[in-house]
Amino acid sequence: MLELRDLAFGYGTRQVGGGVSLILRPGEVLALLGPNGAGKTTLFKTMLGLLAPLGGEVLLDAAPLETLDRKERARRIAYVPQAHAALFPFTVRDVVLMGRAAQVAPFSAPVRNDREVAAAALERLGMAHLSDRPYTEISGGERQMTLIARALAQQPKVLVMDEPTASLDYGNQMRVLGHVRRLAREGMAVVLSTHNPDHVFMVADRVAMLHDGALAALGPPADVLTVERVKQLYNIDVVMGVLPGGSSQVCSPRLGPGD
Amino acid sequence: MLKLISAVTIAFLSVCSASVWARPFTDAAGRVVEIPDNVTRILTAGPPASVLVYVLAPEKLTGWVREPNAQEKEFLLPSARDLPTYGRLTGQGGTANMEAVIAAKPDLIIDVGSVNPTYISLADKVQQQTGIPYVLIDGSFANSAKTLRQVGELLGVSPRAEELAAYAETTLKNLGEGLAKVPAGERPKVYYGRGPEGLETGLSGSINLEILEAAGATNVAAAAGKGGLTNVSLEQVLGWNPEIILGASPKFISAVKSDPSWASVAAVKNGKVFAAPSLPFGWFDSPPGINRLIGIRWLEALLYPKTFDVDLKADVQKFFKLFYQVEVTDAQLDTLLKGAIEKH
Amino acid sequence: MNSAQDPDRGNRKLVVFGILGVTVLAMASMAIGKYSVPPSAILRVLFAGLTGGQPDVDPIQQTVIWNVRLPRVIAGLLIGAALAAAGATYQGLFRNPLVSPDILGVSAGASLGAVLAIFLKMPVPVIQLMSFCGGLLAVAAVYGVGAAVRGRDPVLTLVLAGVAIGAIVGAGISLVKILADPYDQLPAITYWLLGSLTAVTRADVGSILPAMVIGLLPLVALRWRMNVMTLGDEEAQTLGVDTRLMRLALIFGATLITAASVSIAGIVGWVGLVIPHVARLLVGPDFRRLLPAALLLGGGYMLVVDTLARSVALTEIPLGILTAVVGAPFFLWLLASGKRGWS
Repeated sequence: MLELRDLAFGYGTRQVGGGVSLILRPGEVLALLGPNGAGKTTLFKTMLGLLAPLGGEVLLDAAPLETLDRKERARRIAYVPQAHAALFPFTVRDVVLMGRAAQVAPFSAPVRNDREVAAAALERLGMAHLSDRPYTEISGGERQMTLIARALAQQPKVLVMDEPTASLDYGNQMRVLGHVRRLAREGMAVVLSTHNPDHVFMVADRVAMLHDGALAALGPPADVLTVERVKQLYNIDVVMGVLPGGSSQVCSPRLGPGD
Repeated sequence: MLKLISAVTIAFLSVCSASVWARPFTDAAGRVVEIPDNVTRILTAGPPASVLVYVLAPEKLTGWVREPNAQEKEFLLPSARDLPTYGRLTGQGGTANMEAVIAAKPDLIIDVGSVNPTYISLADKVQQQTGIPYVLIDGSFANSAKTLRQVGELLGVSPRAEELAAYAETTLKNLGEGLAKVPAGERPKVYYGRGPEGLETGLSGSINLEILEAAGATNVAAAAGKGGLTNVSLEQVLGWNPEIILGASPKFISAVKSDPSWASVAAVKNGKVFAAPSLPFGWFDSPPGINRLIGIRWLEALLYPKTFDVDLKADVQKFFKLFYQVEVTDAQLDTLLKGAIEKH
Repeated sequence: MNSAQDPDRGNRKLVVFGILGVTVLAMASMAIGKYSVPPSAILRVLFAGLTGGQPDVDPIQQTVIWNVRLPRVIAGLLIGAALAAAGATYQGLFRNPLVSPDILGVSAGASLGAVLAIFLKMPVPVIQLMSFCGGLLAVAAVYGVGAAVRGRDPVLTLVLAGVAIGAIVGAGISLVKILADPYDQLPAITYWLLGSLTAVTRADVGSILPAMVIGLLPLVALRWRMNVMTLGDEEAQTLGVDTRLMRLALIFGATLITAASVSIAGIVGWVGLVIPHVARLLVGPDFRRLLPAALLLGGGYMLVVDTLARSVALTEIPLGILTAVVGAPFFLWLLASGKRGWS
């Protein structure tokens, strides 16, 4: 339902990447892997309609993104940014309510239905007990979950997540990934960017590897995420395999005594 | 029956009392204002108006715009020394409190000075808001006698106003006659500096330098154009090279005498640097009101000692007795004229 | 707590309480002044004014209440409320609690308009009109520059344009001050710039009412969406908000009410900066609560300050001085007490 057709993306006259074609289906988790500067953020912004494509198109439910107004887009595709320090002490509930902006009439405030959707989103992520806490006083992991809840409150079909595990502790990283898998099982299409090959193995149905603005590879992690590819992307030597008792592949860098 | 007649009479009289004891007055801006016949309390909107009312009818003045300092109070009537201070009443841009103005219960508000649309609209605004008649009077020096007579009639003190107006006329007449005898070459070039730096002066036609121009001297700053007050640079003054320097601030005068950058000016070289007397009101321009009449005498003695035979001491005592209604002792005279005349 | 419960109920109670509080303040302010007026006279004059009858009081008392005090009290309320609302709006819009309504140059532009009018010897209504227009023009220029420049961050571009244009306008004001007659015009200009409500009339209040109402409309109508704007341009867009249109509407509204305030009162600082903070401390950042709180607190605060300005000394103290004297130390205290997250 989200399709990128030969997409060229960048800022104004400066092209950052091109030739990206992929289709995201409901219930699928697509990981976007690539080094810093590969163009992940620019690609995301183009997918969300914040930047105009420099070539090719972005299609949402088979309709080009430009033909949908901002409200329509927000009802179908939601963005989860990296949890940032917030300026104003809105409560967790208020933050999640902001996700209803596309459903609330321009000069109105959220109604009972909106409040129920927001509450349900918090419930779904096990965050309901924090509803009245100020966003500025909760932990980084809780903030990230709040932003996911906000995105869910938009009732979208596609979730775009920008490095959702960055700056989270180990436990919270796993919790977020667990939620991502759960959401996908419930029918959500998820695109997330990450630096961590292990996470890709854990959570992704397919991985897209972005290198120098082009799609170096696209496919199931088992097929595509190889030692050679990691070397190509990050210039790091790794070994891969499933540990005894483990459930997914892990990726371990080879750091010798000389490194 | 009697009760009815007296009731009707009282009603009739009270209706009449609102309108009978009032007369129309056309002020300098052409505004027709209803003035009560009996004016006993006057509030002044600015310093020149304060001086005008003070000389005509000090007992009718409700207060000062700015509180006089100790030196100035010495030359004021005891009854006037401690009058309350109201601040400038120029509507927006003033400091007077509207309610304090109303509480003073004036019959009339007078403003003396320039008449331009800003001040006219402010006068209308205050009058409308407070219900107190507000008149604008032209403060130009040449019309001194006329102003005195006009406002004297307004305040109901015409006999005194006539005395003062006659003095004004005589002063100006003597000035004119004397100036006729002064050849053009002997009209001195004068620079008048205001403010502590002394670099604020008046352009040609400015109200603040009126008496200098009336006294036939050349205002060196007139070369810079027409207008009001302005700031000039030391370079400009050096270029004009005035023969005489007059200053409003004693600080400026002592600086001029000692500062090497001023040393090359003709006035400094010839020791012709003088402080304009300022007690109790500026003799030259602060404020630019009726108080300047004695300034004419001072300028005559200073600029044309050969042509005008001025007994400054006698003139000052006469003026102060007539206008300010105070006696001036010799010691006080020295204070008044300190730094303002040449030492013989 | 039932999360689906209407949160506005609590807010409504606060607002009613606030309105009552401000009304009491206003009545108290009406009773204070240099001319002593008994409270019964005040009530009679007000009642007569509302019903159109003739009150049974001394005509001078009626003049004081109806012509002098009432316009001043209403003007103080309106202006305080307007400046606080504009400040709260900009603090959210620019995501910076240190922002005041002047950030886009409305006060600078309004000052230039007034100062120019005084210099040109215009009558008072023209001074007010030129002040109002000057404020609008300055912001229009800033907004135009912001729209023309294709920056990545539209909000930052606005701020920088505001700084630049504010500097140009400030230079213009200084130029006029130098050219102005130090005896005739400069005192009027200086005093105007210090801010004051002396001699404000009913006509003055009437003249700013349309701008106040029209300007407040977008702020009130968009009060929930304003919260979304605090997330920043890109995030708000992904949530479905047309940020460009929102910014335009909010800046338009905030500018109208600020320009109207400056046109009759001159520059009154610190209200737009400090009051929204206090309001946020009391009711939180949700603009649905913040806006009414700012309006009420701002109006009440200005009322208190103006009452002081006209009753503490025999002559008036300029408003700008009083609000700085009260506001700045309070602001320092806020900073020093280390309120993180402005909560």
